[in-house]
Amino acid sequence: MFEKISQFLVPIAGRLNNNRYLQVLRDAFMLAFPLTIFGSIFVVLTNLPFLNKIMNASMLTSFQSHFGIASTATMGIMSVFVVFGIGYYLSKSYQVEAVFGGAIALVSFLLLTPFIIQPETGDAITGVIPVDRLGAKGMFLGMITAFLSGEIYRRIVQKNLTIKMPAGVPPAVAKSFAALIPAFITLTVFLLINVMVTLFFKTNMHDVIYHAIQAPLVGLGSGIIPTLIAVFFIQILWFFGLHGQIIINSVMDPIWNTLQVENLSAYTAGKEIPHIISKPFMEIYTVGMGGTGMTLAIVFTILIFMKSRQMKQVSKLGLAPGIFNVNEPIIFGLPIVMNPIIIVPWVLAPMVVTLVTYLAMSAGLVPPPTGVTVPWTVPLFINGIMATNSIMGGVMQLINLLIVFVIWFPFLKAMDKLNLAKEKEQAVQETAAQQNDNSIKM
Amino acid sequence: MKKILLACSSGMSTSLLVTKMKEYAQSIGEEAEIWAVGQDKAKEDMRKADAVLIGPQMSFLKSELQKEADQYNIQVEVIDMMAYGMADGKKAYEQALSLMVNQ
Repeated sequence: MFEKISQFLVPIAGRLNNNRYLQVLRDAFMLAFPLTIFGSIFVVLTNLPFLNKIMNASMLTSFQSHFGIASTATMGIMSVFVVFGIGYYLSKSYQVEAVFGGAIALVSFLLLTPFIIQPETGDAITGVIPVDRLGAKGMFLGMITAFLSGEIYRRIVQKNLTIKMPAGVPPAVAKSFAALIPAFITLTVFLLINVMVTLFFKTNMHDVIYHAIQAPLVGLGSGIIPTLIAVFFIQILWFFGLHGQIIINSVMDPIWNTLQVENLSAYTAGKEIPHIISKPFMEIYTVGMGGTGMTLAIVFTILIFMKSRQMKQVSKLGLAPGIFNVNEPIIFGLPIVMNPIIIVPWVLAPMVVTLVTYLAMSAGLVPPPTGVTVPWTVPLFINGIMATNSIMGGVMQLINLLIVFVIWFPFLKAMDKLNLAKEKEQAVQETAAQQNDNSIKM
Repeated sequence: MKKILLACSSGMSTSLLVTKMKEYAQSIGEEAEIWAVGQDKAKEDMRKADAVLIGPQMSFLKSELQKEADQYNIQVEVIDMMAYGMADGKKAYEQALSLMVNQ
């Protein structure tokens, strides 16, 4: 039966993974990744809990405001990188001049952005770009605009509506002329959209998309039920040996990343963190505990309590990578894949852990992740503390490991018994074979 | 010189196997260049390889990568699940060699 389901799942997984738009989206977020790490490190550094003991208040404020630009210039305007990235990678996937695709996407996005700030009291300030529109708030408009402008741009290029330069003109010059007509048409489309929306509807595309698409979708994604469903599917895909995150995250990442940036903006502004579920929540409390399925708990359980030689061998092999949240040895070696004994704890434990963590955070026992990006290879406990800026974030992970241990123990014990019986049988067969050998020789 | 490319989601989990495969190749005195990449770089690096192995968690990539590999007349195969899990360098190395035989 498992084989049949697997045959059904593999092509679906392939199609999702190879989907052009999802692939482009994944690459675009990867472009923002090193930048967000840079910003995150300085958020962590400027918010170390003991700083107020070694600096006086004014020094601390000055320190935080000077280094705070590191996160404002990266995660604070994350939509900029995502928009450029989508334009770039989408054009690249169609084999048209990619860097122009990126630049055109960025300008299209800016064309829809109001260059005005309306304070709650007083006159509007013109000639400025509100930072939050380039950050979390503009994320969905940015993604939609980038995909649309990329599609328009490449269609015009592929229709050959370009100015051709005679041979002998330097290639860089020729290329910029070639991009001229496609850029002009694409940008005009977005300029006209903006004129219509602002003139006739007295609003702007940012607010339209934010209220019509982003807020409902992100609100949905921040709920615990959709999150548990996502965890369920990730575990099921891995059970069939498929990389669950690559497939599920490509759909969920826009939402989870937006939630993350919203959290970080609130955190750096000294406000309460608005969301519990976000990208770091998913990374730190599902993957960041020894890999998908929190297998580090399983490795320890086997090493301490189990007797089967095969299981011990896999666990020894899986220990070092597991500390850095790589767990393919356990998934394929134990194995977890297509192992009917294990499907129940494999799916159940991460869902219980996600729920317990969520409840602990909504009860205020553990602070939610602040929105800083912690690389997923940072070991457990350390990554929990870094992500939440609280020792409780690490303690929560240890409690979670205990939960995983309790859920898994009876199943591992049953598996151990089966393996021991099998190993004993093999040993008997081997000695019997040896004796046979000896008797032949005699 | 045998050139073997391994690919998985980010090139991290297969890099473990790469080390074991290299050790095995050295132990039998064969010269081999073995390296791991993430899925986004797999197509690009393929032209330098004699055989391509992909992590079982990326098995859904096989048909797409094979299409690309046909250009270079090389084979793509999913690494045996157990060999992958146990980081069995010998088994994976032999699997890679078997892909080169048919060329």
